[in-house]
Amino acid sequence: MTAAAPIPDTTRKYDLGFARWVYQNVDGGDKLSMCMQCGACSGSCPIGVQMDHGPRKLFMMIRAGMKDAVLKSNTMYNCTSCYRCVVRCPRGVPVTYILQDLGRVAARLGYAEATATDNARFAKAFYWSTRTFGRTDERLFTFKYYLSFGIVAAIKKAIANMPLALSLLKRKRMHIGAPHKIKGTSDLRAILDKAAEIEKTRQGI
Amino acid sequence: MSEQERKPGVYICAGCGIGEAVSVDELTAVASGELKMSHCVKHDMLCGEAGVAMIAKDVADGTVNQPVIAACSPRVMTDRFQFEGTSVIRANLREQVAWTQPAGAEDTQMLAADNIRMAVAQAAKTTLPEANIDGDYSRTILVVGGGIAGLSAAREASKTGFPAILVERSDKLGGWSAKWSKRMPHRPPYRGLQENDIGALVAEVEADSNITVMTDTTVTRTEGSPGKFSVTLSHGGSDKVEAIGAIVVATGWRPYDASKLSHLGYGASPDVVTGVEMEALLADGPLARKSDGKAPKTVVFVQCAGSRDPDHLPYCSSVCCGVSIKQALQVVEGDSEAMAYIIYDELRTPGTAEEFYRQAQEAGVIFLKGKVKSVDGDLKVTYNDELLGDEIPMEGLDMVVLATGMVPNSTNPDTEPAEKGAEQLLNDIDPISPFTVAGYKGDGEAEPETETAEEAPVTAAGDDAEAETEAPFPGGPILNLQYRQGPHIPILADGFSDSHYICFPYETRRTGIYTCGPVRRPMDMAETAEDAAGAVLKAVQALQGASDGASVHPRVGDLSFPKFGLDICTKCRRCTVECPFGAIDEDENDFPILNPSRCRRCGTCMGACPVRTISFDNYNVAMISDMIKAVDVPDEFSEKPRILVFACENDAYPALDMAGINRRQMSAYVRIVPVRCLGSVTLLWVSTALECGYDGIMLMGCKSGDDYQCHFVKGSGIAKERLSKVGETLKSLMLEEERVVMEEVAIADSKRVPELINNFSDRITEIGFNPFKGF
Repeated sequence: MTAAAPIPDTTRKYDLGFARWVYQNVDGGDKLSMCMQCGACSGSCPIGVQMDHGPRKLFMMIRAGMKDAVLKSNTMYNCTSCYRCVVRCPRGVPVTYILQDLGRVAARLGYAEATATDNARFAKAFYWSTRTFGRTDERLFTFKYYLSFGIVAAIKKAIANMPLALSLLKRKRMHIGAPHKIKGTSDLRAILDKAAEIEKTRQGI
Repeated sequence: MSEQERKPGVYICAGCGIGEAVSVDELTAVASGELKMSHCVKHDMLCGEAGVAMIAKDVADGTVNQPVIAACSPRVMTDRFQFEGTSVIRANLREQVAWTQPAGAEDTQMLAADNIRMAVAQAAKTTLPEANIDGDYSRTILVVGGGIAGLSAAREASKTGFPAILVERSDKLGGWSAKWSKRMPHRPPYRGLQENDIGALVAEVEADSNITVMTDTTVTRTEGSPGKFSVTLSHGGSDKVEAIGAIVVATGWRPYDASKLSHLGYGASPDVVTGVEMEALLADGPLARKSDGKAPKTVVFVQCAGSRDPDHLPYCSSVCCGVSIKQALQVVEGDSEAMAYIIYDELRTPGTAEEFYRQAQEAGVIFLKGKVKSVDGDLKVTYNDELLGDEIPMEGLDMVVLATGMVPNSTNPDTEPAEKGAEQLLNDIDPISPFTVAGYKGDGEAEPETETAEEAPVTAAGDDAEAETEAPFPGGPILNLQYRQGPHIPILADGFSDSHYICFPYETRRTGIYTCGPVRRPMDMAETAEDAAGAVLKAVQALQGASDGASVHPRVGDLSFPKFGLDICTKCRRCTVECPFGAIDEDENDFPILNPSRCRRCGTCMGACPVRTISFDNYNVAMISDMIKAVDVPDEFSEKPRILVFACENDAYPALDMAGINRRQMSAYVRIVPVRCLGSVTLLWVSTALECGYDGIMLMGCKSGDDYQCHFVKGSGIAKERLSKVGETLKSLMLEEERVVMEEVAIADSKRVPELINNFSDRITEIGFNPFKGF
């Protein structure tokens, strides 16, 4: 990633400059130019059926300048980082990195789809738990995720999940009491804050 | 060789399984007894040192002057069985008897005996041909066209040791190639834009003392035949006549008329340009667009602009993809902020061009797959993206480049069409599918904008053919040949010069005249330079062959030539019309007159002649008739039908041999007669065979039509035409039409050939025996 190039204006549905911007500013984007649309990525993706568009199509949409549709797509947040596409790509395109970074761009630009989907809510709750405790606490992190739907919905969802919680407890996969923490959570937070600061300056958005 | 001098000797080989399959002693008995051959020898391995030495000794001491070798196929061991001053006759006992028939069977023995009978009959009508040489032959090669094709051809000719005359109609050499700013990579590592080095080639040709360069010159008249062409070169109103040995036509191409592409925005904006115009802009230093001189930041290349489109050029010009990639690279390399988009239908980057394509991707050139629907005057490009299944509008563009295709210069578009002969060009091969010059359908008006490539209905082939026949043929002849068959070099599909682009490239239908470069098929500079070398080598063969009195491809080295018995000639002109190579002209009394070095010895004239007065020393009507009659046809009570196969020696006969090599069994009732071309088959042979009691006749030859494989171009098509008339004759004789069939086979059909024969044999058994049997 090189210096800050401002992302072209966000209101246009088609933007011919978008492809070049992605090539130059998105993590792994320089390799995206080598995509030859074979579809090995989409074919290999275990959860491709859940995506609006498979990676192949998303990359073609980037080339066609369909910025709006790309940044509104849920493809990026469905990626589980299994890296099958990366392993199989004959042109060495780091599909996973590109998707992750594109998701971040969409979130920063305030695309509702990037912040309001299930996956985005889940990711945020995950980050909260990690940042707070240095690890995931299944109970609090799950409830935090449920809360993003509103308090009533959260309680309903929590009750619905009770049987699962009980059997986890029975098998000692979940504990009662204070959440486990790592040592030096404040150091971890300092690291994460620094990372966010660096990223801001680099993205230029 | 008169009758008294004939001393045939039969040599029967028992090797390679022949001895196990048949009784060689019985065959010897047939030859010496029934056929009264005084000299008949059997040998265990004729092709071995001892066998060859034995024959050579008989030839040397005068015992034998016509060795009849009954052994393997005539296609093999030709170098072993070659004896000075004799015509060797071969009977095929190996591939077509021992290897295709069950050993020891009665039918196998009969087949072998018949093959020997046929060979002996052939010997009785064969004389050793003498070369037809007359006076001096020129060794100069005329190259027409001064582009990269012509320059390369002239250089190759000179390097091969032949003087060349290079004729160019414009005032300087280099052609289109001289206009290109850069070249596509043509040398390892096949990456990066390479310098256009055409200037060095021009300088080399101009400095070569063996090459005479004539610019501002056109060919106004070409007479004669290979080795003896007399070519009139016109320069500034004065004519000069040169003696020429062979001609290489390298007239190249011209860009498709973009004014017909109004649906792609051509003419609506000065910033919609063709690929050729883009080259001019790129050659002029930093890229500046035409309308306001600004450097374009976004450039869209529209591929297949008017190509692969039934309304425009129906074919792919093969180079436009590479050219657009090159220009796109020039755009992005020239300006780091510039963007280049290539909208392609299929990106055709064969061979090393794939590496070039990859390089353009790395450089950030964006490739979009789809068909362009429209280009507006304000440079809005709308295309249907095939990978997204969506219509994408592209706005804010600075330039649109239309990658237009190549139209072959198979005629000179600057001159008037020839008064006589153009119609023959249109209808020469197959009257049902005439050829056109691409891009010259209808009246030349621009297409209505609504008719895009996608919406335009694909016209049926039949409709096309009708429409094409009406179109006038544009431009005048390039060589202005003074041939019976018109002034043009015949063309095939889409206006490209007729040359079989896979099997026999460069070969036109005018012997001694070879085409190379984009007049033959679309190709890039590197391919063209290579093509020129190939055409020059063919030209060299032609002029060498002419001075030796020998034939060129495919009967290389054959010294025979058609002889006309003018005493019974009816001046019907069928030979002069049907000769695929325009070898026969008419003299002032309308008698046929042969130009020997134009002749390729296919015998199509022989097959055409209604009074059968055309013959070759080693191939004639009587010879094949006698071979047909020589076969011992059993009567109907024997339950053994006889099927005669006329097999073209170029493809069908090798396929039959190949079937034998693969040990594929086939009916023992067939008797195979090799012919030079199905075009040489006269209907007399068919009626002779039916009179002799054969039950079925099969003609096996090459594919005819637009995608012909006939080595003599038109022969198999003509045979088909002739045979279409034979049904009536059969009916009038109360014979079933199915008794005479024609099959198109290729050299690779070794599996299909026995199936064809066996099925035909079954069919004939069903129909029943020939009622004329035994008369």
